[in-house]
Order: sequence, then C-alpha cells, then structure tokens
Amino acid sequence: MIAFVIRRLLTTIFLLIVVSMITFGIFFLIPRLAGQNSAELAAQYVGRNPTMSAILQMEAKLGLNDPLVVQYWRFLKGIVVGAHYDSGPSQTFCAPPCFGYSFRTQQPVWPQMMAALPVTISLAAGAALIWLTTGVSIGVLSALKRGTVVDRFSMAIALAGVSLPIFFTGLLSLELFSYKWPLFPNDQYVAITANPLLWARNLVLPWITLAFLYAALYARLTRASMLETMSEDYIRTARAKGLPERTVIARHGLRPALTPILTIFGMDLGLLLGGAILTETTFSLPGLGQFTVLAIQNQDFPEIMGVVMLAAFFIVIANLVVDILYAVVDPRVRISLWPCWRSATCTCSSGPTTAWSRPWTGSRSTWSEAARSASSVSPAPARA
Amino acid sequence: MTSRRTLAITACALTAGLALAACSSSSTSSSPGGSSSSAGTGASAGNASFNAGVTGVVNPSTKKGGTLTFANSSTPDSFDGGNEYYAWTLNFNRLYQTPLTTYKSCPGACANTLVPGIATALGTVSSNGLVWTYHIKQGLKYEDGSPVTAQDVKYAVERTYDRGVLANGPSYFQVLLADPKYPGPYKDKTGDLTSVTTPDNYTIQFHLTAPFPDFNYVVAFPQTAPVPKAKDTGSNYQLHPMSTGPYMFSSVQLNKQATLVPNPNWTQNEDTEARQLPSKIVIDLNVNAEDIDNRLLAGDIQVDSQGAGVQAAARAKLLSTPSLQKNTDAAPGNRLWFVYINSKVAPLNNVNCRQAVEYAANKTDLQTAYGGPYAGGAIGSTLLLPGMGGFTPFDLYNAKSQPTGDLTKAKAALTACGHASGFTTGAAYRSDRPKEVAGATALQAALGRVGITLQLHGYPAGSYYTNFAGAPNYVHQHNLGIDFGGWAPDWPDGYGMLDALVNGNAITPTGNANVGELNDSTVNSLFTKATTPSYTVAQQSAIFGQIDRAAMAQAVILPEVYAKVLLYRPPTLTNVYSYSPWGMYNYAVLGVSG
Repeated sequence: MIAFVIRRLLTTIFLLIVVSMITFGIFFLIPRLAGQNSAELAAQYVGRNPTMSAILQMEAKLGLNDPLVVQYWRFLKGIVVGAHYDSGPSQTFCAPPCFGYSFRTQQPVWPQMMAALPVTISLAAGAALIWLTTGVSIGVLSALKRGTVVDRFSMAIALAGVSLPIFFTGLLSLELFSYKWPLFPNDQYVAITANPLLWARNLVLPWITLAFLYAALYARLTRASMLETMSEDYIRTARAKGLPERTVIARHGLRPALTPILTIFGMDLGLLLGGAILTETTFSLPGLGQFTVLAIQNQDFPEIMGVVMLAAFFIVIANLVVDILYAVVDPRVRISLWPCWRSATCTCSSGPTTAWSRPWTGSRSTWSEAARSASSVSPAPARA
Repeated sequence: MTSRRTLAITACALTAGLALAACSSSSTSSSPGGSSSSAGTGASAGNASFNAGVTGVVNPSTKKGGTLTFANSSTPDSFDGGNEYYAWTLNFNRLYQTPLTTYKSCPGACANTLVPGIATALGTVSSNGLVWTYHIKQGLKYEDGSPVTAQDVKYAVERTYDRGVLANGPSYFQVLLADPKYPGPYKDKTGDLTSVTTPDNYTIQFHLTAPFPDFNYVVAFPQTAPVPKAKDTGSNYQLHPMSTGPYMFSSVQLNKQATLVPNPNWTQNEDTEARQLPSKIVIDLNVNAEDIDNRLLAGDIQVDSQGAGVQAAARAKLLSTPSLQKNTDAAPGNRLWFVYINSKVAPLNNVNCRQAVEYAANKTDLQTAYGGPYAGGAIGSTLLLPGMGGFTPFDLYNAKSQPTGDLTKAKAALTACGHASGFTTGAAYRSDRPKEVAGATALQAALGRVGITLQLHGYPAGSYYTNFAGAPNYVHQHNLGIDFGGWAPDWPDGYGMLDALVNGNAITPTGNANVGELNDSTVNSLFTKATTPSYTVAQQSAIFGQIDRAAMAQAVILPEVYAKVLLYRPPTLTNVYSYSPWGMYNYAVLGVSG
C-alpha cells in the first residue's frame, strides 16, 4: 500500500508539472505565437493611456521580456524555493510555495488563494454532507419502492435538481429566503472561527442550493446501482438463508452499491474544492471560485496559473484518496494493489470472497482504474 | 411508458411551480425601462422623488452614527491614491485622502468647480505658464497625528513615477513635468524629482515643460494626496494608506472587504467638502451585481459603489413601482458612449463615407441597446457633455430630429463618397459588454439599410484598447473601420473630454483613445491655442466648443448617448445627490439615518 501511495504521489507531481506547462503555454506562449509581443502584454497592466516608458517599466517588472523558458523556470523555482519581489521600498520574500505575484494587485498569489480556500472548503464540505446523506437516502428509498408514488416523486425531484441550473435555484432561494422572508440574510461570509452560528447561517442557502444539484445526481445513481445490486443472485441467497430484510439491504445491497458512489464523490469533491464558481458567484462567497472568475476577468495570469494548479492538485489528491478508500472497502481492489505474497488470505485466481463486494458495472469515464478493474470481477456467494 | 409520462409531468409541474415562485416577488413589474409618463410622477415622502438627487440634496442630515455599507461587484484598482484611476475609487478615495485640489461638494454642474483640498487655494501660475505654486494648509495631520508637509506631497508625486509598482494611475506628471526619465524614489534612492520643488514646508511648486492651463485639475487626482516617506510600503501601501480624510482604514482584506472608522485627527474646518457622519464604513467587494441590487432594495446595504447603475431586473422594478421610483435617480453618468469611425481605413478615409454612417445610424436603437432613456442616456449629437464648459448644442447629422436615421442624406453622402451602393467594413466591439454587443447588432442592422455591411468582431474588454481597437496597426490590418467605445473625461472640461479623443498629437501605437485617428491641422492648432496661458476659462471653453464642432464635421465619432445611470438611494441614506465629476453619488458626504 505504501508503495502504491508513493507511486501515486510521484505521478501526481509529474501530472502537476504537465498541467503547469500546458497552462503556462496557453497564457504566455500562445499570445506570442499570435503575434503579441511582451510590451503589448505588459500594456494591459498599466492603467489607461500609459506612456511607453510606463509600459517598459511594467514589462521589466513582470519579467515578460525574458525568454519563456526563463519565465517558466522562475515560476517553478518560486514554488519550490520561494522568490524575491520588488514591492517598492524593499524586496519582499515570497515564501514557498510561491505562485508568483498578481499582475494586478501586486500581491503574492498563494496567500490570496489560502484566504479564499476556507470559504470553498466550508461550502463544499457542508454541501457534500447534505447531498451525500439525502441523495443516497432518496436513491435507496426510491429503489426499494420502485414504481410507487414515492419512487416517482423522488425521481421527479431528482430530475428537477439535475435540470435546474445553480444560478436559477440560487437566485430563487435568495429571493425567497433572503429578501422576501429574510430567514437567511445573504450577508458577507463569516469565518467559522469568528462566529460558528453566523458562519452556518450564511451558508445554509449555498449548501442547499449546491446539494440540490448533487443530491439529485446521487439519488439517481444510487437508485440505479441499488436496483442492479438487489437483483443479484446473492441477494436472493441471503434472503433464502433467512437474513432479516434490513440486513440484506444494508449489508449486502447497499454496501456494494455505494462503492461507485464513493468514487464519484471523491471526484466531485475534488472538483468543488478547486472552486464552485457558479455557487460562489451567485451567493457572493469570496472563495476560490470567485477568485478564479476575478483572475480571468483581470487576465491576471499568475492568479490563473495558481488556481489551475491548486484545482488540479485537489482533483488528483481526491482521486488518490478515493482509490485508497476503495481498496479499504473492497477486498478485490486490495488484491490488485497488494502483491499476493503479502496477503495470507489472498487467492489470486478466485477473486473476492465477500458478498457485498459487487461493484457498479455501469460506465462512467471518470472512474478510477481500480474501480474499473474491480468491476470485471464476478460476484461470489453471499457470506452468511 | 405511463410511469415515464407521469414522471415528466411531475417534473414539469415542479419546474413550473418553482419558476412561478421566482417571479412572484416581481409581480408588480411592467415593461423594462418604464414609460416616460410614469417616470416622473412617483409619490414623494419628504423630499424624495424621482430624480430628486440629480438637482438637489435628498435627505439632508447632520446626524452622526450608524454604519454605511457599500458593495461592489468587483474590486478596486487600488486603495492607494497614487495607484487609482477608476471613477468609483477616485470618488471613494475622498473618504480617506485629500489631494491638493478637489471638486466642490454640491449637486449638478456646480460640482465641476475646483476648490482647494489640502492647499489653501487653487494654484497660481507664473506669467510664462510654466510654474504652478500651491501653499498647503498648516496644522493638517495624518491619522497618527504626525504633521502633513509639502515634502510629503512631493514624495507622493515622486512615487507615481515608478510604474512597475504603481501602475494604474494617470501619467500626467510624467508627461507635463520637466524630468520624465526620473525612475521614482524606489529605484533612485538618492535622487530627486527636480521638477517639483518645496521652498518651505508648506509650499510646493511644479515646473512644467509647456503651459498647461488645466494643471489644477491634474493635482485633483489623489496622486497628490500626501504620503509620509517613512510609512510608504510601495505595493503594500494599498493595505493601509495614511489617512488625511475623515475616515481611515481599520482593515483591508483584498477581494473581500474593507472597513473604515473615523479619523480622529481630521477636522471639518480644514476639509469643508467632506463629512464625518457614519461611525463606521464597510465596503464589501466581489458581490454579485444582482445581489447588490437586492441588498439595496432590502436596505441591507446603502450604496453600490461602482455607481454604474442597477441591473436590468432591478431597473424594471424601480421604474414601475412608485414606492421605489421615488428613491431613484436617472443621473448623468459623466460619460459619452459612441462609435469611432476610423479615418484611415478605406473607404472611410473619405469624409463623405464617414458622414453616411453618421446619417444612417438608428440612434433610437442604439439608445435602447444601452438601456433606454433612463438607464442608457439621452441621444447624443456632440462630443462635449451637457453642462461641460464649452458645450453648445448642435446636431450636424440630424441625430435628434431624425433619430431613426436620415437615409436620404446617408445615400447622398454615399454617392458623394463614390460608393452609392454601399461598402463593407469591419466593426470592433467588446464582446463581454452586453450593451455594446447589442449596439453593434443595432448599428449593423441600421447601416444595412443603405448598403453598408458591417462584419462584427468581438474582443475582450481587458485588452480592447491595448491590443485591438487602440492599436492603429491592428485596426488597419484588420480593416476595422467601425470601433465601439466610450469616454469618461479625467476632468470635466473640454480638454479632459476631447484631447485624447480627437487630438492628432495624442495618437499612440497602443492604448490609443483617438481610434478615429483624426489628425486634422485645424483641430490640432485649436488644442495648442487653448493652452495659451493668458486665456481665461471662458476663452478656453469657447475654443473647446470649436473643436467639438470641427471634429464632428470630420465625422470620426458617432455619438450614441450622453450616459445616464439609474441609481437607487435607500431611504436611510442621507445627503444624497448625483455628483457630476464622477457621474455617481458623492461618497464623501453620505450619512445614514435610523
């Protein structure tokens, strides 16, 4: 397992370097290929009607007149060992990981991202808790009550959740619950350390709005997964052995149905931690999503580079965590991760031995390799 | 199949229900933009009525206390006065910094008058027009109680020369003063900006290379707000600029929020143009624009600091609901929206072809594109804005008498141009500005009526002037004969409005604002004439009036609207009025009641 994690971490570093090269190329190389010179690039950051000497000063300050390779090396070096920047009266040291200085605000990018990160984490974590519990619950209920009014109503809600964009449901919830009936005034974000109650009150609507979309997706996914699992032979076997229905559902039906949910949950959470742009913009939350929008509007390349790298990092790490968790909950994945000689109970040729390890067999391209490999294994008889 | 149908019906019903619920709160709305008959008849409470803040002070009050909350949909260019150029940040700056001169605090055109700031009087100029002298009020203090000196003002100007650190502010000092090569005090730690001298602690002199009668306006920028050298932290100074105004920063969180509290060392006697009424001022940054409107209407915040007017949804509510309308102002936006007609791109290098565009344009449609008569503005026919020195109404192309276009004269002009059946040219606009997109589409349709075909090209606003419309080479290479634009003058007189737009000497290879590339000897000589030191303000204004007419005769700019902004003032906001220098409310005098 340790070797697996180390290998994945090394892959992560390689992947982040590739992402940084691509991002850097998009913002610094492509404009040059399109004929833009470094002075023209610098002119965007020197106010209205700049003099040529002002443009040249900015060009030198931002290092845009250096070869691209030098600029890229400087960027990477700053992340690893930090960098010194001219703040006027003195040189300011930007400690590692230094993602450079904003072209607009002349402030280091990393502290700005770190200031925005708690907002995004607060939003994503709260919403994730809601959508995971409600989405899975509704999905299970819907699957167990298949064809009934409960099932149809639940799926109708889910369809609405999937169909309605966040900027619509967000504005609607604001209109109703912030302005018409001000139960949750849309005040400025308050840190949890400053006032936990106010923190929670200000986030209730963003949590629910964001969770509405994801809960709908998860409900539909859970329902489909549960329906498939509950139709398996080993469920019938479990019932035939006289197990209580509750045990059959929770232990033999739900657990294997949850494994694909876990995979997708990791991906979704990783994506959200990179910035929930629509939700943060709708509710004016100063998180990474809003930071990204502002960076793009301002064409602030160091900020864009920084946020892309951070988002990529979250997605890769979330994938890694999910893969590890997957191995924890599904023995067959453990088998594929650990060499056989290290597991006393391992039977390489016979596959997994648990009844609940039947994974999702549907297709979703974002699934990890571990999930895909596990899906090819046939279920074994139920464990009594 | 049945279950699917049931599911679909249920989903549709649910969606419809939600949509209806969303609309329920605005059920009193009628047509967006409102009608002219209803827009002036709102019920009054106190002195609040529609447009009351355009000509007078609404809710005058000297009540102290309360929290005044601003919100902005974006972020400031800086809170450092030496690094500001946005109109709203210049307006907001007066809450915490005071330049040598400033604008009079009063409603309407009265505010175009300059008055002393930290100076005892407006500057006096030498007989040759090259040396401007200001005396600084004695006894002024920073927020920490240390005295303000002339050397601090000089240092404030010096630091703006380092454009690598303070990039955003205007460049007038570098252009007008005698030593443009000075790199600033950060790079030249032992040198000196020799063109600014301080004969004593309370006198400062500026030595110009050529006469510049508008210099009093130049020093009204907060670049002359004093900065104590010992407290200067360069690019970090924006996090706590030393206050000489009624308020000082207690916290600044970039991209999030800033808070100001009263400056204990500020005195009303020394700064009659500002007030110190609220006990706290908060500005929330990066707030969704629609949410700002909702918060304004709910009374949660008092001012949208951007000052650009409410969004479309709120606009409809304000103009159709009497109880809201009475707290609304369609205020002059201190800006002209227009279309450049490039004089170097064939066939528009022929004045008759340019005039054909002027005649054929449907000004009513362009006005609608920008938001209609209340939120967009009045149809324009001149370059100078109404109320500005030198403004004389004229209408060379029947913009007001035939606002939908004078097609007969347009066709005659096309014939005179040698393109009786029309021609094709490119049109540049900022694709991330919906009003400009609508304007481009409207102009394309209007010109199509006389055979002029516009090929529309959208560009990002951030680099529009640096890389595209403001780069003459790019304009020529891409045949961009039509280019959308707008201009808010740096100061409210003819020079501030016209020099960058139509002076041939102002054409630059990048960041060019004379996109029409008018380089007319008559117009250029009039600009030179206007700088004659012995001329009075009235004489100079008369010259700018001539330039306006001469430039319009050359048809390098098609005026669209004299901008208006639809502003909402919550009933709890006091001392509210539209302030012409910035085209929004005057932030330096606001208070809150209740």
